[in-house]
Amino acid sequence: MGTTLLHINRLNAWYNREKMVLSDFSITLAEHEVTGLIGLNGAGKTTFLNVLSGLHPAYRAAGIHFHGHPAKPRHKNFKLCRYTVFAEDASFQYFTFREYLSYVFSAYQKKAADVSELIQGFHFEPFADVLFKDLSTGNRKKAYLITAFALKPELLLLDEPVNGLDFESTEYLYQQIAGYKQYGTVLFSSHILESITLTSDRVFVLENGQIRQTFEGGQIHAAKIREALHYEHDV
Amino acid sequence: MNMMFKAFFKKLFGAKYERLARAPFLYLIVYLGLDLADFHITVAPFILYLIVTTSTAAVMWQALSSQENAAAIQNMWMLPFEKKPFLVSYTAVLGIYTFLTKTAAVLAVLLAVADWKIAEVLGSIVCALHAVAVTAAVFAWRNIWHAVCVWMAVLFSAVFFFADLPWFLPMIAADSAFAVFLLLKADGYCFYQPKSSQKKLRKPHRHFTMLFYFFRYLKTHKNYLANTLMMWCIACVLPLFFRQTQTLFAVFAGFAVLSLNTPVCILLSCDPALEQAVRFLPNQKKLFFAPYCLFLFLSSLIADAIFLCSLQIQFGGVRMPLAAAAVGFALQSALCSALLECFCPVRGWKIESDLWHHPRKYIVPAVMLLFAGAVCSFLSQIHVIH
Repeated sequence: MGTTLLHINRLNAWYNREKMVLSDFSITLAEHEVTGLIGLNGAGKTTFLNVLSGLHPAYRAAGIHFHGHPAKPRHKNFKLCRYTVFAEDASFQYFTFREYLSYVFSAYQKKAADVSELIQGFHFEPFADVLFKDLSTGNRKKAYLITAFALKPELLLLDEPVNGLDFESTEYLYQQIAGYKQYGTVLFSSHILESITLTSDRVFVLENGQIRQTFEGGQIHAAKIREALHYEHDV
Repeated sequence: MNMMFKAFFKKLFGAKYERLARAPFLYLIVYLGLDLADFHITVAPFILYLIVTTSTAAVMWQALSSQENAAAIQNMWMLPFEKKPFLVSYTAVLGIYTFLTKTAAVLAVLLAVADWKIAEVLGSIVCALHAVAVTAAVFAWRNIWHAVCVWMAVLFSAVFFFADLPWFLPMIAADSAFAVFLLLKADGYCFYQPKSSQKKLRKPHRHFTMLFYFFRYLKTHKNYLANTLMMWCIACVLPLFFRQTQTLFAVFAGFAVLSLNTPVCILLSCDPALEQAVRFLPNQKKLFFAPYCLFLFLSSLIADAIFLCSLQIQFGGVRMPLAAAAVGFALQSALCSALLECFCPVRGWKIESDLWHHPRKYIVPAVMLLFAGAVCSFLSQIHVIH
């Protein structure tokens, strides 16, 4: 593993104090790597990504360090370094994609990037000037993904990025995730085993709010991960 | 039918029907509070019937057209269902919801501030039930709009010309029965309104403008736009109500009333996805909240300007300090509304109607009234000193 980008030590998160969703959850992400999170429904994947996105206030952690410095998910400096594509999103319904892109770049204080290649890759040309409210779920997802890859944050968080995408866009998404290492780190959750095995440098299997197993490099095989998930299910 | 009724009922009143007791209890407190305050006015029975009917019909229409209903019960529409039980269950639950959570509030206020006979109270309840039945029937048959228009024209004529006659209430009851008959003949799917998916290409804009965003929000929701236009109409006629009390406080109270434009003040509350985005993106104070505040300010300022123009035309005497006060009050209402949306958006609402009638909307006018009172008393003290 390379230089540490993000280290989270003993994170606890809950919706109801009696039942923790994440319990003493610790994770370390390296710079320029792709990390996959996999687990059954309710394992805590989305909650973890929501904590990092600053949307889940009910959490406590022994330490969150970004580039070795203490960080807070709701602090502006941390926000400027990460962007999240949510599993379901219908925000900014009265913006077109181009307007949304300009808005996000302003928010991140960056100059607008050329997105023509990404638009072409995701077959999004006919929808770039349509209001979000008039787009299908899949096309809205593409809009947020294009924005994410164009923005190139140091830490890119993707929650179920494959959901709603067609076959060609899914293939293109895998290429983008795998190629993102040159810009930063990707942390993504998925239920699709293929999306994890084709792109990830490391895979974390989540179970009951904790990391049960980690796979790295050559260990990442669909059969092994499936076995780990089956074990989790049987337990 | 029992299952469908329960399913709809639980959606609107909570899994343990907690709202069924909470809302009437709250209105009982309002009633007792107003009764103890011994504040009395004279209201004609016809006005009572008119207020109850129009407010019930408006809320019932809003409940029937709610997109949240369509999303929540589309699964039920997919299942095979018996037409009549569905129509009865669905409209009955929305009717009960409208009556207990919204009409009851209007009744609590009206019954507390004026003296009524038992027959008039019963009459107002008959009017509310009539409004529920007629609104549901009109909604169900809205596609045959010309027939609906004829029906409404006959009904309004009857109400305006025969309201004082003893058979007014039996006539309303008979019309309710007719509305129920029409409702039972309607198709169940007439209540299902899926979101239209017309992909309209926009003129390409490479840069965002938040004000465009807010105008599109208003334009897309025709009822929001209608509410804004209605506020401007109220601004035109408001000086008439202050004819007898031409005081500075009355003008400031007018500014407070005109800040009650609910739909523009619930932008984040009505759109949880937007709220999520605004919370997770950086620099949102500058990019989102500042333009939102400006939009609210403009919306309030236009209403205040119309109010002042109307005041000048009818009574004269509007000078620069009053115009400056209008700007100050518009700014104050915009800031308060934006802060409320930022720090305590309304959550946990069931349908849009809950959002529109949430008590939070009275906070800003109340703050403005307090401020108006403080300014007026300060000015009068200065006047006494001089």
